Amino acid sequence: MGQIVAAMAMTHSPGLTGWFDRAPMPQQLLAKKALDEMRWRLEAAKPDVILGFSNDHLLNWPINNVPEFTVGIGEEHVGPADWYDEWLAMETKYHIPGDAKLARYIVREGARRRIAFAYLRQMQFDDGFSVPMHYLNPYNAIPLVPISMNCTVPPIPLPARSYEVGVTLREMIKAYPDHTRVAVLATGGLSHEPGGPRYFWVDEAFDLWFLELLKRGDHAALLRECTLEKMEAAGSGGTAELLAWIMALAFTQGPAEVLAYMPAIAWRSGTGMVIWNEMA
Amino acid sequence: MASVDKCDATLPLNEMMFYVRKSKELRERWTTDLAGLCREFGVSQAEYEALRDQDVKKLHDLGVHQYYVPQMLRLFYGASANSNAHPALEAYKRAYPEESARALALADRLEREGGQGR
Repeated sequence: MGQIVAAMAMTHSPGLTGWFDRAPMPQQLLAKKALDEMRWRLEAAKPDVILGFSNDHLLNWPINNVPEFTVGIGEEHVGPADWYDEWLAMETKYHIPGDAKLARYIVREGARRRIAFAYLRQMQFDDGFSVPMHYLNPYNAIPLVPISMNCTVPPIPLPARSYEVGVTLREMIKAYPDHTRVAVLATGGLSHEPGGPRYFWVDEAFDLWFLELLKRGDHAALLRECTLEKMEAAGSGGTAELLAWIMALAFTQGPAEVLAYMPAIAWRSGTGMVIWNEMA
Repeated sequence: MASVDKCDATLPLNEMMFYVRKSKELRERWTTDLAGLCREFGVSQAEYEALRDQDVKKLHDLGVHQYYVPQMLRLFYGASANSNAHPALEAYKRAYPEESARALALADRLEREGGQGR
């Protein structure tokens, strides 16, 4: 049986690796401190695998065929994709072990539970997983099962749908036949509008409001109040990356611990790091 | 309508970008024969001209996915650490002066307040 041993969420802005030093020094220090704290807590949980939720930035699938969710089922994950080498300032490729057995179980069992998970044996990686792995899994020691979702090409899943998929995944992990310690990691957000008219903008008020909702720990209230429309108003095509956080929320109960928040315009994203201390 | 909802998933330029990002050969064609590359993907004259002119607003209005627009500009100018003075981002300031000015004013205010975070 699978056991959820950690749940956390963080921004995956390419600026966190690509142009980290463009942000004001206090933001750099705060981000580093929070990311170190996340890594220590992740390592302390001794997971056998990271179950990662992020979004594909039109890299793996052409725009005429964008699945709602995709699982990377490879034995190994290699990244970043060439296009992102310079963008992310990653001079060498990382090689992270996968957990093909668990990943294929998720695809098969998801179908039985009426969720169509597409899959890739060789998923390509942009900032969504590359940036968090750089900071949280720097020695590639913890295997990764990546699940990407579509939050950029309409129709975008609603928060309730994302939470529902998270709940189903939680039940699937708990029903997994092997004893496996699973750490859940969501990446994306907070407010930003990549490539849109407000490309430079960060909606600090939305971000603080969203983080307060997480701190309250009331999932029903969050799902009721944090609509897709509100996310889009805070930054279209980017803020909805928080749907990955809402998937992770389904693995938790109680309040989230907000490690840091920065309205990091230099990194083109409201930037935050969050940990949940109580698993559902 | 949120800006991402303006995306026209059937636009040939959107299809073209998917393949250009993956192919060194196509990226070279981008710099040496952009018009020919566009013709091969069925890109319309209006799309081609907006691309050639790096007209961010027109690209959005035509239905280019907004995420692809900075990446198109990268193909013209390179990544170069994405600073606010980068020519690719200058194109955004031209297209959306009000939005850009508001954001940069916010950045200035935050900087004055000490670089903040909490």
